[in-house]
Amino acid sequence: MAKLLIVEDEQHQRELYAVELQDDGYEVDQAGNGKEAVEMVKSNKYDLVIMDIRMPEMDGIEALGKILSRDKKIPIIIYTAYSNYKSNFMTWTADAYVTKTSNLNELKEKVREILASRGV
Amino acid sequence: MIFKRYPSLKNAYIFIPEVILLFYLVYDFFYLNYLNGYYEILMLAVVLLILSSRAVMFFLGYSRYKTMLSSVRDVINDYKKGRFILQKKKVAGDDPLSIIFNELLVVGRHLDSLVSSQRTEIEKFNDLYNSVIFSLSSYFLVLDEEEKVVSANDGFFKRFQFEQNKIIGKKIDEIFYFVNARLKGGLSQARKLGKSVVLEKTHLLTLNKISIIADIKISNISIQGKNQIIIIIDDITNKLRKDYQITLMSQISESIQRDAEIDRILYTILTGVTSGTGLGFNRAMLFLLDPDGFLGGKMAVGPDSFEEAIEIWSNISTSTGISESYDFKDQKSGKELLKKVLMVKFPINDVNIFTRSIKNRENIHIVDSWNNPDLDEEIKKLMDVKEFVLVPLIVGNKAIGAIAADNKFNQAPIGNDSIELLSIFASQAALSIESYNSLDMVKSEMQKISERQEAIVESEKLAAVGRIASQIAHEIRNPLVTMGGYARRIMQLTKDTPKNSDKITNAASIILKESERLEKTLSNVMDFSRPSKFIREFNNINDIVRDTVDLLKNLFQEKNINCELELQPDIPLVKSDFNQMKQVMLNLLQNAIDATGNGGTVVIRTVSDSRSLFIYISDTGTGIKEKNPDAIFEPFFTTKVTGVGLGLAIVKKIIKDHDGEIKARNRDERGAEFEIQLNVPG
Repeated sequence: MAKLLIVEDEQHQRELYAVELQDDGYEVDQAGNGKEAVEMVKSNKYDLVIMDIRMPEMDGIEALGKILSRDKKIPIIIYTAYSNYKSNFMTWTADAYVTKTSNLNELKEKVREILASRGV
Repeated sequence: MIFKRYPSLKNAYIFIPEVILLFYLVYDFFYLNYLNGYYEILMLAVVLLILSSRAVMFFLGYSRYKTMLSSVRDVINDYKKGRFILQKKKVAGDDPLSIIFNELLVVGRHLDSLVSSQRTEIEKFNDLYNSVIFSLSSYFLVLDEEEKVVSANDGFFKRFQFEQNKIIGKKIDEIFYFVNARLKGGLSQARKLGKSVVLEKTHLLTLNKISIIADIKISNISIQGKNQIIIIIDDITNKLRKDYQITLMSQISESIQRDAEIDRILYTILTGVTSGTGLGFNRAMLFLLDPDGFLGGKMAVGPDSFEEAIEIWSNISTSTGISESYDFKDQKSGKELLKKVLMVKFPINDVNIFTRSIKNRENIHIVDSWNNPDLDEEIKKLMDVKEFVLVPLIVGNKAIGAIAADNKFNQAPIGNDSIELLSIFASQAALSIESYNSLDMVKSEMQKISERQEAIVESEKLAAVGRIASQIAHEIRNPLVTMGGYARRIMQLTKDTPKNSDKITNAASIILKESERLEKTLSNVMDFSRPSKFIREFNNINDIVRDTVDLLKNLFQEKNINCELELQPDIPLVKSDFNQMKQVMLNLLQNAIDATGNGGTVVIRTVSDSRSLFIYISDTGTGIKEKNPDAIFEPFFTTKVTGVGLGLAIVKKIIKDHDGEIKARNRDERGAEFEIQLNVPG
């Protein structure tokens, strides 16, 4: 079973993604901000990380850099309500950039696609 | 007189004895009548015979002498012309003239063998000289006083691909495209001073667009009273190219260390590969892949036209420096090129050489684009050049774009070393993008983000309602996403009702909460942006504090926070708007509750003197992380998970409207403290 990490500061949103993805058959861990996410990646092995950008403590961009500098191969999907971060070079290092909507289909599709391409 | 006319008669004196004898005999004969003996007649006959035979002999000898003399004169004339071997082989006879003639013939043969041996020697030297000049890397050009070409060596014709007859007699300006100030100055200096002038690292571009960098030596020499200028051109293009590449490399790596911005580094690389007149590329263009899968033009450096190129090249001497100016959108030349490149955008799934270069991570060198079937019209039109090269930018294992470069204007062929150089720069660029991932880069990026945020905050101070609205729209988005998501979930789950009824209830309650939050956000914004009516009456601040704490009682209890009131009993009344002051207390206490963990303490104190009333609100929470605590009063400042960041801005606005002051500081022990100062009416 593929193991995912959801990094999202909005608790309700995070829980929503978690239950939806669990329903799809993934094992899902949750982190409330970038700092937590970096810590969790250190001690667990994830097949994919879904990363929000605007978060307290440590935002998604900093966390992205930290995670990728530890492990370049881990796939990361940026999932944010903001589309303007696309102009930020850092987000280019992610595998996908999905804009948040209440419809999770696009996110789920990307997760499937990336995991399939990695043979997970 | 007669001798002058007939000089040979001078020699007739030899006949004098015969003539005397003849006169004697004739005298004898006629006057003395000796004509009576045979003997006398015989004598006369003999004398006449001798006389006539001697006369014959004389004239014969004289004509022989004359022919010999003319033969000798012929020999000498031939000698004068450099002919030493004659038709006549030898003359018979042992008279002095014949001997001299024969000796002259011998001398002639001697001279001939001498001269012919010298001639072969000279020819040998000539061959040697030609081969030396031919094998030198230097090119020779000889100009006359009017700077017209008199001659040039084979090397010159060969290197610049000129036909000999095409440039002889032409002025130097008609051979080189631009004779820059240095070369011009050098020529006139050499002419005036009569000395040799050396010009180092000069860029030469000929009419047929052959471009070299050369050390040039100009000498003035005088040949047969006429001044000529000899120009010796030492081709140092290859040597300099190496120097240039090394300089460039160090400059670019310096720039990478110095400049954190990727844009700047990329720009430096583009200007770098196009700098160094005649060494670098004429033009360079950068295309980057965006996350949506489109390849778009991002930057371009290089002149728009041949005239522009000439202007740039003739104004600067060959330099390998990179200009310090940065803003590529501000560049003076190449505006059209930049415009053209910025308009380029096509999906990465298109099949063309750009996408091929990126997908296959290969350098592509197009030698003849006009006749290349792989190129579609769009790309031909974009590049508009016969030969160009494409090098991908690779970061880690992803190609993120490509650099295209060409020599559109001097049409110098693109060598493998240039391509190599370009790909080194491309990997430098890629490396720097990757190192962007490193902590340092992240830090500087964070710095920039916070600067940007500050800038936003600054501008938000003057923000129009429209700007706030757009910010709010973003804020509204998060709760809406959650609500929508859960709503979807409810729809999904109700299919299986009643099994999931509890889940449905839970989901519904969340939607409710979120909608409440949305309402609150909107009302906050409206409070801030709409000038509210101000009702000033004398209020007891202690009452307002108690009212607010009462309002928030549930929240304190929920987080098990101890709320202590230390209110000075007899404080003076302050002229204020009750509802607004309540809003202030509400916002500050809400913040305190949010910042304070379970079991913490919030203390509210009121203190007064004759002039001022102070309200202190302190907590045992996380404190203020900002260096400048006043920053937290800026609109849209927030550290909270929820909220727009208007709470404290509203507080500050209200206090300011009351002619009061508010300050924030961190407490020595733990947490933050807010101090409000209000004026007491005098």
